[in-house]
Amino acid sequence: MNGWLLASTSFLASAVEAVEALTIVLAVGMTRSWRSALSGTAWALVTLAAIVTIFGPAIVRYVPFAALEIVIGSLLLLFGMAWLRKAILRYSGRKALHDEEAIYAREVRALRGAPVTGASDRLGFVTAYNAVLLEGLEVAVIVLTFGASSAAALRFAGLGAALAVLVVGGAGVALRRPLRRVPENLLKFIVGIMLTSFGTFWSGEGLGIAWWHGDWSLPLIVAAYVVVAGATIAAARRPSAAMRTAA
Amino acid sequence: MKLGAIWSFIAGDSRRAPLAVAVAVAAVVAVRHVAPGAGAWTGVLFVAIVAAGVVAGAFEKT
Repeated sequence: MNGWLLASTSFLASAVEAVEALTIVLAVGMTRSWRSALSGTAWALVTLAAIVTIFGPAIVRYVPFAALEIVIGSLLLLFGMAWLRKAILRYSGRKALHDEEAIYAREVRALRGAPVTGASDRLGFVTAYNAVLLEGLEVAVIVLTFGASSAAALRFAGLGAALAVLVVGGAGVALRRPLRRVPENLLKFIVGIMLTSFGTFWSGEGLGIAWWHGDWSLPLIVAAYVVVAGATIAAARRPSAAMRTAA
Repeated sequence: MKLGAIWSFIAGDSRRAPLAVAVAVAAVVAVRHVAPGAGAWTGVLFVAIVAAGVVAGAFEKT
C-alpha cells in the first residue's frame, strides 16, 4: 500500500517545486536565450541526479534501520510541518498566496535590465541553474528520505518525482507561460499532510511504537492531521476578539 | 552553506514545530521506559503532540 502512496506524495511535492523552477526557467528563456535556460536546467538536473545516486544507496547500506527510521521520520516531520504551516497560513489569509505570474513578471524585469553577452549568457545560465538546483534539492531530499527505507521505496519515490518533472515540464513547453492554474497551495497542503503523516509513522516505528494494525494506521494518521489542519485554518481565519472590539 | 541556512531549509521559520517534534520523541521514549505495555496509546500520544505543534506553529509570529 505504501509504495503508491509514496509515489503520489513524491509526485505532488515534486510538481510544486517543478512549477516554481519552471517559472524562472521560462523567464530566462523568454528574456535571455533558450540556450542558456536549457543548459542551466540540464546541468542542474545532472547535479541533482548525482546527489541522489551517490547518497541514496550509501544511506541504506551503512546506517542501522531503526536509527534511519527515527532520523528520516523526524526530517520528514520537520519538512511536512513547514509545508503544512505555509499552506495553513495562506488558506487563512495570514500570508499572501504564492503568485507564479508575479514571480515571472519580476524575473523578466530583472533579466531584461542586464545585457546579453553572446551565446554563452552566463546570467541566464546561472539563474536557471540556481532555480532548478534549489527547487530540485528539496525534491531530492524528499526522494532520498522516502527511498532510504528500502530500494523499492526509492524506486517509487523516484518514479513519482520523475513523472512530476515530465508532466510539469511538458505542460511548460506546451504553454510557455507560468502554470498559474495549478492550485499550488492545495498541493502544498496535501504534501504537508502526507510528509507529516509518513514522518510520524516512520519515526514512531523507529522509536518502537507498535502502530495499530501496522500500515493501516497510516490513513488514520492522515485523517487526524487533515481534521486538525482544517480546524486550525478555520480558527486562524476568524478575527481576534481585540480586532472585533476595535471594529 | 551555514548551519542556520540548512536548518531553515529543513524546518522553515517556525520554532514551535521543531520543539513539538522534540517533545513528541522525548515523550514516546519516556512512556516506553515507564510503561512498556502502553501499546498503541503511545502512538496516539505521539500524533497528538505533533498535531499540537502544527496548531502552535500556525499561530506563531515569525
